[in-house]
Amino acid sequence: MAVIVIKNLTYTYPTMDHPALREVSLEVEAGEFVAIIGPNGAGKSTLCYTLAGFVPHFFKGELQGDVYVAGQDIRHVRLEDWVLKVGLVFQNPFNQISGAKFTVYEEIAFGLENIGVPREEMKRRVEEVMALTGIADLADRSPYALSGGQQQRVALASILVMQPEVLVLDEPTSQLDPIGSREVFQVIRQLAHQGVTIVMAEHKVEWIAQYADRVIALAEGEIIASGQPAEVLTDPRLPEYGIGISRYTAVARQAAEEGLWPPHQRLPVTLEEAAAGFRAIEETDYARLR
Amino acid sequence: MVERLSFYLERNSPLHRLNPTTKLVVAFTLILVAFLGRGLFLPSLIFLLILAPLSFLGQVGREFLRTTLNLLLPLFAFLFVMQSLFYPGGKTVLFGFWIFAVKLEGVRFAFLTATRVLVMVSSFLLLLLTTHPGVLLLDLTQRGLPASVAYILASTLQIIPQMQAKAATILDAQRSRGLDTSGSLGRRIRALLPLVGPLVFGSLVDVEERAIAIEARGFRSSRPKTSLVEIEDRPLERALRWLCLLAFILALGSHLWP
Repeated sequence: MAVIVIKNLTYTYPTMDHPALREVSLEVEAGEFVAIIGPNGAGKSTLCYTLAGFVPHFFKGELQGDVYVAGQDIRHVRLEDWVLKVGLVFQNPFNQISGAKFTVYEEIAFGLENIGVPREEMKRRVEEVMALTGIADLADRSPYALSGGQQQRVALASILVMQPEVLVLDEPTSQLDPIGSREVFQVIRQLAHQGVTIVMAEHKVEWIAQYADRVIALAEGEIIASGQPAEVLTDPRLPEYGIGISRYTAVARQAAEEGLWPPHQRLPVTLEEAAAGFRAIEETDYARLR
Repeated sequence: MVERLSFYLERNSPLHRLNPTTKLVVAFTLILVAFLGRGLFLPSLIFLLILAPLSFLGQVGREFLRTTLNLLLPLFAFLFVMQSLFYPGGKTVLFGFWIFAVKLEGVRFAFLTATRVLVMVSSFLLLLLTTHPGVLLLDLTQRGLPASVAYILASTLQIIPQMQAKAATILDAQRSRGLDTSGSLGRRIRALLPLVGPLVFGSLVDVEERAIAIEARGFRSSRPKTSLVEIEDRPLERALRWLCLLAFILALGSHLWP
């Protein structure tokens, strides 16, 4: 069953002349992990804000078309309660710290206090989510005395703890090193297996290739490609739109031009695929030499 | 970036365990009594017999005395010099030198004012030293302070070190591109102007994101709120607060009595 149904969505911010999203149509199934790629200004964040209800309820502006999440028309939901259904984690971890709390533990509990979760359940959920995101050792620290990567995990934990049906993440790994990014992707993959629907705007194509079920490429507010990660991430048009490609794809594309990639084999997006392709071409070369 | 966000010192003392509202009420009462009550030595007795012993009960005595003196000594010195020499209507000359004369009325006035200010500052200081700001705000919220007001107060405490860090970053960035921030006073002030734009506009952008962030955490949720921390309020404390009201009424009475 499709949890997210978007039909011909066009949206313009109040102070802008041009729409941030044009004729976007999209369906996402329950428990699916969809990654959105695109250059800066392509509309990734706007799409995230729309699913979370901040467009049009916070930013106002003009919304045309239909957006249904969990069967409800986004235009007719109350934003203050909608956040229980759709969790939003955004880019700048610093501004996601509430400022109302003095320790990481309290910071994560803040959302649960607001939605009236009883104390015992609150503690259990906070501790669970801190273990899941690997920040249990930060419990008593001030949320402001953390590194960017630690703050980003706190921001993620603060939303996860509210157990939304749909999780929307706008570049949640921007401040994380490769190890931290992989951990976040693993946590998110795990949540998707548990039935949480995930929409994530992200630049790190290597991780997307490994963990996402589907990739949507946005450019200038329009969807230019949608499908399996292996398919979309090797689309030859991506660089023209200013979308970064995996280093493995880039190397293999260069190799293919020089005739060093197995003909008719799709370009790789992960290290394993690249290694397999080069191994194959090496074997045929050896075969020819002998 | 580890910054101390408040005066609060963590201890396990009876004063720390007291309900924050009780401490707030006691602090206000002591201040009102010191200002309204009669008697030259009333405020100084309040400090010596109530506030100072309480600070040792709260295991923050040294910090309490040191911070109080640091805050108030310069003010007291100024107050005594000005008032003892120039208090209007001073007649009783204690001693004189050169063209100056120190008058008794001035000294009395300076002493009373100084000890009143001492009670005001030190009772709040004691409250802040022994009460975590988060717990104080939580308690006030549970007693009916709007959550948004509590939020503004709590986030202000946290935002000051942030703003300082941000200003330092902007200033460093500008210096590294050749902005001269040394030299005469006028030049330094002019060098600060380019800081204002980025700091103010940057903060406005932050405000929008912060608003989204707390909305996303259900801040305006229509459900009744709960809280992680439970704050004790014993019947004895309620009695103490009524006692405070009584003390205030007595002080007011003595103030209004002809």
